[in-house]
Amino acid sequence: MTTDLRASSGTTRTTEPSLPRRRAKDWLAGKTFSAIALLPIVIGIAILIALVLRTRPILEIKPLWNLLTGHTWKPLQGEFGFYPFIAGTVWVTTVSIILAVPPCLLTAIYLAEYARPGVRTVTKPLIDLLAAIPSVVYGVWGVVVIVPWVEDSISPFLGKWLGGVIPLFATDNPTGYSVLAGGLVLAVMVAPFIIAVTYEVMHTVPEGMREASLAVGATRWQTIKYAVLPRALPGIIAGVVLGSSRALGETMAVLMVVGNVAKVPTSIFDPAYPLPALIANNYGEMLSIPLYDAALLGAALILLVIVLVFNIVSTLVLRHFIGRPEE
Amino acid sequence: MKRSIKNIIVIWVLAAMLLSAAGCAGQQAAPAGTKLQGTITVSGAWALYPMMTRWAEEFQKLYPDVKFDVSAGGAGKGMADALGGAVDIGMVSREITADEEAKGAYWVAVTKDAVLPIVNAKNPVLQDLTARGFSKDTFIGIYITGEITTWGQVVGKPEITDEIHVYTRSDAAGAPETWAKYLDKKQEDLLGVGVFGDPGLLEAVIKDPLGIGFNNLGYAYDNTSGKPVAGAFVLPIDNNANGQADPEELLETKTEAMEMVAQGKYPSPPARAENLVTNGKPTGLVQAFIEWVLTEGQAFVGEAGYVKLTQDQLDASLKKIR
Repeated sequence: MTTDLRASSGTTRTTEPSLPRRRAKDWLAGKTFSAIALLPIVIGIAILIALVLRTRPILEIKPLWNLLTGHTWKPLQGEFGFYPFIAGTVWVTTVSIILAVPPCLLTAIYLAEYARPGVRTVTKPLIDLLAAIPSVVYGVWGVVVIVPWVEDSISPFLGKWLGGVIPLFATDNPTGYSVLAGGLVLAVMVAPFIIAVTYEVMHTVPEGMREASLAVGATRWQTIKYAVLPRALPGIIAGVVLGSSRALGETMAVLMVVGNVAKVPTSIFDPAYPLPALIANNYGEMLSIPLYDAALLGAALILLVIVLVFNIVSTLVLRHFIGRPEE
Repeated sequence: MKRSIKNIIVIWVLAAMLLSAAGCAGQQAAPAGTKLQGTITVSGAWALYPMMTRWAEEFQKLYPDVKFDVSAGGAGKGMADALGGAVDIGMVSREITADEEAKGAYWVAVTKDAVLPIVNAKNPVLQDLTARGFSKDTFIGIYITGEITTWGQVVGKPEITDEIHVYTRSDAAGAPETWAKYLDKKQEDLLGVGVFGDPGLLEAVIKDPLGIGFNNLGYAYDNTSGKPVAGAFVLPIDNNANGQADPEELLETKTEAMEMVAQGKYPSPPARAENLVTNGKPTGLVQAFIEWVLTEGQAFVGEAGYVKLTQDQLDASLKKIR
């Protein structure tokens, strides 16, 4: 704006390029930036197309519905049932989100509303640091700490007291490699994302709203409950969605603790076999066997579609929920 | 635990090497004559990777003009790369399938390895296991049909009701495939909780007194002491099915195990040949290298922790390559 004014004032005409040239530059910049901004979408579509093409050999033999609902995974005998893997993905992700969301919300509320600045400056970077730990390290930690803990303490205890009544806690898996172990490791991994987003969103709630609430005699908790949280809710949901997307695709850490048995789990102590683990376990060895290769790329396609659908649906729900597009 | 961390580090380093090696494949044809030169690119099974780097090193001492580009990434990758022309030689630690043969895979066996069944050293019936050995039918009952579920059943003492905790490999690899082949099945038919990688499976069995698993020979024994890794016990396979573990079925040290595998007294499978695969019959430099591997190269097999093929098998391989 300022350059325009100066140019039209005539004082800098000799140094500034002419108006058509500046307009051309502006046009070029706009087009270039939009092209670069569109690149991720193009790449996403390219990946989707490539996966569809590479999956075709198996779709020609088996109808899609059979693949999605089949329970038997014996690729070398021509049985390609993806259902146990889809179920495994959903189980592990759901358990991790159920475990992660309550403590994450409380942590974020504490950090945003209660914590003194000193506490906040120390705690916040430490939580963010959790996001920087490589997933294979989480996996090792899961094998060394979480799996034995589930095997020796949680599974015998819950199995004994609740297993007979609630099938969710009953199992014949004697080891700790289970949905719960995967869920626990994942919960810690997605926590920094959920906490960070929730914290930032609560920070954007105008200070005036808190002051107004406190001024009419509300306590701090009442202020949070009636003034801050309703306003921050869409953002919090977005944070949980981000965490879930990450949980859906997490591979290494989950694969190391989840047991990798291609059977639909019926209890949190059963082993499960999520889609990313299926791909990672087999791709390097089996990519030279044509149908196996197509089946594994099919697994990748299913995973991609699950993540896409999940994200699209949550965005739509969110929009419906707040009645307008998210800012 | 130290072992797993070390292995993970090794895997990452290898993965980094693999990535850096990835774009540069291709080989200049070696001119006829004594002076070999050019680049040989190799990729494939983790199981053969340490051996191949050793061979490459020694071959380079003899022919300084030959360069090597060796990477690991799984037997399937080696096969796909070799068939697709991305590398000259693929390392494949399992049998070559009919599909792959039809696509032009040409292979020779270059060394041997073996998969050994292991249990925890604190197993409740260890005494009986040491005395009786483990028959193939017992393994089938545990790993395939799932009919055998307690350690008491294994040793014929129904009063012992300790459950068997069955572990297998989650990742597709030569070792589980060979183990399944011993039980007349495929890896996808093996029962048990899947654990990632050789070190992972070993760790799971060491930590679980009721556990059973299987490992490559190189992982089952401690390299310095030659004894099984602390906390693990190598199960004797009752190969002649006489109901007892004979002296030669008890593999108490690494040297003993390697000897039994080399002499063919350890059943095959679970002993297995490690293969080098080329797209069609190799020529020129690649042929010269594989020939060297099968002759002078065999001198380094033992010290790298692998088992030599018998002379007959070596001759058969040589005949195939010449």
